[in-house]
Amino acid sequence: MALTQVEILPNGLTLAVEEQSWNPGVAMQLLVPVGAVNDPQGMEGAASLLEGWLWKGAGSRDARALADAFDDLGVRRASSSALEHTTFAAQFLADKLGPVLSLYADVLMHPQLPGEALEAVRQIALQELAALEDQPPKKMFAVLRRAVFASNHGRNPSGSKPDLESISAEALREDFARRYGPQGAILALVGGVSLEQAKEAVTNSLGHWQGGGVAHPPVELRPAQAIHLEQDTAQVQIGLIYPDISYDHPEFYSARLAAQILSGGSSSRLFTEVREKRGLVYSVYAVPNGVKGYSYLTAYAGTTPERADETLRVMQAEIARLSEGVLEEELERTKIGLRSALVMQEESSRTRAASITRDLYMMGRVRTLEEIETQIAAVDVPRINRYLAASPYHNPWIATLGPRKLAAK
Amino acid sequence: MTRTKSALEFKQTTLENGLTVIAEINPEARSVALGYFCRTGSRDETPEVAGVSHFLEHMLFKGSQNRDAPSVNLEFDQMGAQYNAYTSEENTVYYGAVLPEFAPRLLELWTDLMRPALRQEDFDTEKQVILEEIALYEDRPSVMLFDWGRARYFAGHPLGNSVLGTTRSISQLTREQMAEYQARRYTPSNLVLTLAGKVDWERTLDLVQRLTANWSKGAAHRAYPEVKGTVGELREPYPKATQTYLALLAPGVSAQDPRRYAANILANILGEEGNSRLHWALTDQGLVESVGAGVDEADRAGLFYVYAQTNPANEEAVKAVLRAELNRLEREGVRPDELQRAKNKLATALVFAGETPMQRLMSVGIPYIYNHTYEPLSEIARKVEAVTLADVNGLLEEKPFSRSFIYSLVPA
Repeated sequence: MALTQVEILPNGLTLAVEEQSWNPGVAMQLLVPVGAVNDPQGMEGAASLLEGWLWKGAGSRDARALADAFDDLGVRRASSSALEHTTFAAQFLADKLGPVLSLYADVLMHPQLPGEALEAVRQIALQELAALEDQPPKKMFAVLRRAVFASNHGRNPSGSKPDLESISAEALREDFARRYGPQGAILALVGGVSLEQAKEAVTNSLGHWQGGGVAHPPVELRPAQAIHLEQDTAQVQIGLIYPDISYDHPEFYSARLAAQILSGGSSSRLFTEVREKRGLVYSVYAVPNGVKGYSYLTAYAGTTPERADETLRVMQAEIARLSEGVLEEELERTKIGLRSALVMQEESSRTRAASITRDLYMMGRVRTLEEIETQIAAVDVPRINRYLAASPYHNPWIATLGPRKLAAK
Repeated sequence: MTRTKSALEFKQTTLENGLTVIAEINPEARSVALGYFCRTGSRDETPEVAGVSHFLEHMLFKGSQNRDAPSVNLEFDQMGAQYNAYTSEENTVYYGAVLPEFAPRLLELWTDLMRPALRQEDFDTEKQVILEEIALYEDRPSVMLFDWGRARYFAGHPLGNSVLGTTRSISQLTREQMAEYQARRYTPSNLVLTLAGKVDWERTLDLVQRLTANWSKGAAHRAYPEVKGTVGELREPYPKATQTYLALLAPGVSAQDPRRYAANILANILGEEGNSRLHWALTDQGLVESVGAGVDEADRAGLFYVYAQTNPANEEAVKAVLRAELNRLEREGVRPDELQRAKNKLATALVFAGETPMQRLMSVGIPYIYNHTYEPLSEIARKVEAVTLADVNGLLEEKPFSRSFIYSLVPA
């Protein structure tokens, strides 16, 4: 099994390398801690605008020359900003590592941020925000997160309309200088590259990168509540968020296994009770989720209005029923599923790079697959049932979106 | 950790009952992916049974004479399988990946499911799930755009048939109609069993021969009427849209056409995210939320398509730019530097396409359905590299975009 090697470089950048000597390619994932949570007050959407603006020229290259330079190296790239981060993902051939990192160094350290290009970036961001109206599940979740968090974690990563409209180029440039930097940034490289090669290439390209490290605000919660948003949709969107435990909790793996038993496969409880037995939905799930400092369980279903009350009732009942315990055979097959998912995840360098950066961000270290397997194996029925009885999932935040309000309990 | 990239081996055979079995074997892989590819989809449906292929795909998971629905779900999970299925206009694909020790069991399960029980009670419950799926997409104008746009473009040709069907067609569909369709379409000769990864070929063959010994032969027919694509423009208001959604459809190349590598490169030059003609003309100007171009390679027919999402106020400006760019493309052709950049990106994509058995299953299985041949990644990479400027510009000489259909879904 491959081992991830992690080093913090002198400028604060965390570098993680997992070498696959047989792999002609390299998958890269770079997390920069610039997201909606640390957008300045009155500048909600700044991280999103910056991410778009960065590509409008860097170093000596204008936007087209920059895009051409990436294409000349055969780089497949994507970038996006979200609640806590801006992510830069790329795949390329291993022998291009040095030149590819040099291009990213230009983007991260020397973007031109030309004033005349900002208007187009702003227009795209405003359209993205407006398009939320045509994506009911996404809109519902934006409302739900706002109901959960009193802190900036409740913000919509797409920004707010008045702020997007009013942010000036000057303010954004200042924000870029303040927030973009190697402190707190995480770079993962998985594929045909060794730690030594990676260190050399990163030092040459990003060694002089300085700054960053603007903290994320602490998480603050609102009291549990149920909100309804009226919209003339074909399906009612139902979302629930339950408090859960984090990576640092000794029963973390008990909670993860419980979530899998609830919704990990098609023999899981939610799928069986809501879809298979009752045919109430096409989509229903519950999935562990979280921001740094707060973990939660998100549950979702979409269903037509006349069946929405029953759907919500069955979901809540199944989630509450976890406290009564799980069966030996449920736990057994869930463990097999997790083990096979872990092995298969390792087969894809892109998936691996993403999961390395997530571990480093959430826990400050990369779990080995052996460690995860050992922890999972150590959870038996008495232990998980003890945990579930003592820490039942209850008192969720609830959001619904649809033509009429539900009889939520 | 030492792992060398060993040579992949391809195997194929056709059993006495007509079932074709193919495998790309990679002894170094840590998992096995396998599944059945059935040459059937919405294009093979009559209007009375619109949506039956997709509904049937759901019903296969409800079990056979040997298994009920809960046991099917249980078995997949007991193997830790990552699995799913999908239905398109032309194919219904059932796929899964497991660790090698579970491969025979997964094969046995998929094979059993190809002969479903279609119990009335399950049929009635699952019909509700399908109706929910239809309602789900009704709330997503970006999806309805293509459903309706294709229907208007193909104008009566079966490739315009909706995969989901309609609330009406699904509500009226009977179990008997589905059973008749299944018997006719899931004949051994209309199925390909595909495997990829750490495959034990001899054991697979032995097992599948035994499991399908009683499958009766039969031929499934597919009609190929001439495609007479609609030319022009159509705007339709949709109460559930607040943004404007545009789909441009134009004649392209089929899945059998050797020019398909050139067609992919052309679509890339036209509409790839980040660096393409439409990126600079539309996204870079802030005129659209997103824009993209692609190809749909179908059975003896094909499409180029462009997709754009924009603020309603920009609709006319976007259409004008789109028309101007497509005109210029047909008039001037593509440049050598554009061709080279598109090839560079495809070369990288092909390296990453080889990583997991699940990816290989799809990349091997789908082309085989159309061409009955196997192309290793190295051969595809060679063909992409061999595409010339004349190949790409040759596609444009046929003036496909002068025969475009621009369909837009606009706020009501």
